[in-house]
Amino acid sequence: MKHFHFGLIVATVLSLAGCNRSSQKQQQRLHLFAWSEYVPQEVIDGFTKQTGIPVDYEVYDSNEKMLTKLLSSPGHYDLIQPSEYMVEHLIKRGLLEPVDQSAIPNVGNLLPEYRNPEYDPGMKYSVPYMAGTVGIAYNSDKIKDPIRGYQDVFQPKYAGRIIALDDNREIVSWALDVKGIDINDVTPANLAKVKPLLADWLKLIKIFNSDDPKPQLFSGDVDLGVVYCGDAAKLIEQDKKFKYVLPAEGAHRFIDNLCIPKDAPDKQAAEAFINYILQPEVSKIISDKFPYTNPNGAARKLLTPQQLANPASYPPDSVHLEIFHDIGKANADISQLMTELRNGR
Amino acid sequence: MTQAVAIQPASNVRRPGWRGSGLFAPMVTWLALFVVAPTAILLVYSFFTGEGIGEVDTHFTLENYRRIFTPVYLDLFWRSILYAGATTILCALIGYPVAWYIGRAPASRRGKLLMLVMIPFMTSFLIRTYAWLIILHEHGLFNGFLEAAHLIPTVFSHPLNILYTPTAVMIALVYTYLPFMILPIYTSVEKLDPSLIEAAADLGAGPTRSFFRVILPLTWPGVAAGILMVFVPAIAMFAVTKIMSGGHIRLIGDEIQEQFEGGGDLPFGSALGMALLILFLVTYWISAGRGAKELRGA
Amino acid sequence: MAHPLPSGNSLARLILPAWTIAVLVFLYLPIVLLVVYSFNNVPTNMDLSAHWHGFTLRWYRAMWADRTLMGSVQNTLIIASAVTVVSIVLGTGAAWLMHRFVFPAAGGLQTLILLPMIIPEIIMGVSLMLLFRAIGLNRGYLTVIIAHVTFCFPFVMAAVQARLAGIDPALEEAALDLGATPIRAFFSVIVPYLMPAIVAGGLLAFTLSIDEFMVTYFTYDASSMTLPILIYSEARTGLKLTLNAVSTLFTAGTILLVLAMELLRSRR
Repeated sequence: MKHFHFGLIVATVLSLAGCNRSSQKQQQRLHLFAWSEYVPQEVIDGFTKQTGIPVDYEVYDSNEKMLTKLLSSPGHYDLIQPSEYMVEHLIKRGLLEPVDQSAIPNVGNLLPEYRNPEYDPGMKYSVPYMAGTVGIAYNSDKIKDPIRGYQDVFQPKYAGRIIALDDNREIVSWALDVKGIDINDVTPANLAKVKPLLADWLKLIKIFNSDDPKPQLFSGDVDLGVVYCGDAAKLIEQDKKFKYVLPAEGAHRFIDNLCIPKDAPDKQAAEAFINYILQPEVSKIISDKFPYTNPNGAARKLLTPQQLANPASYPPDSVHLEIFHDIGKANADISQLMTELRNGR
Repeated sequence: MTQAVAIQPASNVRRPGWRGSGLFAPMVTWLALFVVAPTAILLVYSFFTGEGIGEVDTHFTLENYRRIFTPVYLDLFWRSILYAGATTILCALIGYPVAWYIGRAPASRRGKLLMLVMIPFMTSFLIRTYAWLIILHEHGLFNGFLEAAHLIPTVFSHPLNILYTPTAVMIALVYTYLPFMILPIYTSVEKLDPSLIEAAADLGAGPTRSFFRVILPLTWPGVAAGILMVFVPAIAMFAVTKIMSGGHIRLIGDEIQEQFEGGGDLPFGSALGMALLILFLVTYWISAGRGAKELRGA
Repeated sequence: MAHPLPSGNSLARLILPAWTIAVLVFLYLPIVLLVVYSFNNVPTNMDLSAHWHGFTLRWYRAMWADRTLMGSVQNTLIIASAVTVVSIVLGTGAAWLMHRFVFPAAGGLQTLILLPMIIPEIIMGVSLMLLFRAIGLNRGYLTVIIAHVTFCFPFVMAAVQARLAGIDPALEEAALDLGATPIRAFFSVIVPYLMPAIVAGGLLAFTLSIDEFMVTYFTYDASSMTLPILIYSEARTGLKLTLNAVSTLFTAGTILLVLAMELLRSRR
């Protein structure tokens, strides 16, 4: 027993010593802070192999968590991966470093429609990584009636068979779409307008799940719902009975971007990584694993016809797509409203 | 009889002198840094106003606390207390006999039995919760078992729909917290003097009387510790309830998460956290008070 | 005739073991399932129905090849061991000091120590993160260990206090009378008495540490990533049977450890 304790003490001391060593100045090193399940390990390893720069990879699962950690770690991260509304917010607060496009020649691979985003004109501070939509997925074996939009989904006859993202802002935006209101016009008046609709909808939803609705749709716990296109794409890859439809009332598109925080310790490594990601072969690996909408035109040429034909990954252009903007304080209003409605059960 | 049970103040229990205070110094420093400071940060933030993601208006206000006293959040607290309370009671009822059995087992077996209880908890609670999804699923293990035993369609007309209901949440909660109840009760049971129980029996007390008048009071410190270790963390539980209920049942823990993330309202989240803290203090003082009474009275 | 149970009731003699076994079955059901699934050749990670698709070792091969996963396991074990040792020392010391000395602030101190048990983990994590930044301590092994100890050692303390509540004061007096110094009396008389509580509390501390996600999340850096962080980000997107493989090995490892300790003890 004594030896066991001694061993533990030694292990502790060694591990603490190790901690000191790692905080000393080293060669180039990339501190990547990205969404979990979004950057394949293969891609990270490939970067190190190609450039010799090792990568420290930390993860987050929400933009807000990312911001919280970013604010308390100045000079720690080289690259972050915010969504479009968060990019807006970060630019507003002066938390981003401009991206030197001359250091990223591969930026030319991006499709023209992604080169001048409304949340960051001219891509001064961000480079698109992957895009996608939030839309309706359904099991066509179980659902025979046509599904064209939110109102087709949220019908009493589908009560207890619906799955929805566990994201208050998302759900509210769907109701705003149905009422024809701009999804970023979140005023108390507009929230009051959609409140009854939301109350009705919430009663019909069986499962709230943002993490992974796939098992529940696949296993038949639910038959239809509103999900991320990447999840729908995976379902479709698995079984063609699953369908994906962009709601006719309006659909939310998101774009995740690579950005360099202010005071990033190694800006060059960050730009090297961005350039590396934009290589078509690398981008293809990401698409293979995470079938979202790839903004890289050169990469799309490397994809298989099945991948490009997947309606969840590459939807037809007919529907009007909106993006989230930073709505600041209105987030709290949404939270309050939804807590009220969801806890009323 | 009561003399043997009551705690005599030991002659070595005294007020700390200079040397005694010195012994306290490291602990007090630790507490000041890693407990007082975070709690103070929490308290200070709870009086601010959230202005969007990560932004705060630092004017003193009681608005957050006023908001807690609205039906929406009071209901949330009440529901959390109910679930946590039910979990605690079930854990105590289910766990006490187990703690008793292990505590009274031969010394050589006690360690093994204890480890047997703890081994399942060396795995991630998230993975165990997902295992429960497969067990309770409509086409999962439990229903499969019922079908194999021909209980479906004889006793039950169709597969049981346990998943995504409060029952599923309770199963997962009790499962998560059972060892936190068993372990403290075990430490109390283990030190029980069997001669006391024998004496009670000899004096004519039946099993029920012996239990409630002798055994329970003697093991109460363990039970109180167990209650504290289950009830209080259970209220702050997140993720498990969301997963097992399909996102329908949200407790305070989930709500605080939401405030720190989606709602982006750190001050309000901090206020909720403070409210939880006060709830804890109340629970603690009640159970500690009862415990002391049991020890003195018996 | 001396009965170990209050009534010497043979019914009670049957019920208690049966009850314990039933509870153990309940505790092990998900474990058995996840172990079995680690060998299950499930074609897709979306299937929640309970089906056996044939035996396979592919998840173990994938797990072994996953350097990030293996690294996180190593970190988790090192951190949990350190946390347990420190928690036992702090927790036992704190419990003893509270037992020994009586002073007006004792109740307040007690409450303060137990506070981290209740503060929701996300708040604990965020505030510790802010604190470490304020005192200039970089995120890494040390910060994670400190964060874990903060809410683990109260569990040890509570377990030890429950046990101390019934200690016979004559015990320590006897040791002192026999000429031992207070320190010697503590280690040779009190600590052995406290062993069951220390073991129980230490077990709890270890278990809490290896499964702690939220607090770790705000105090770790890439080199000290733990298994729960990995699990939390990966387990939520469908079944990840490599994680089942890891968990199975954890379980097996713990069982082996227990058997080894038993062998050592019986050897003595």
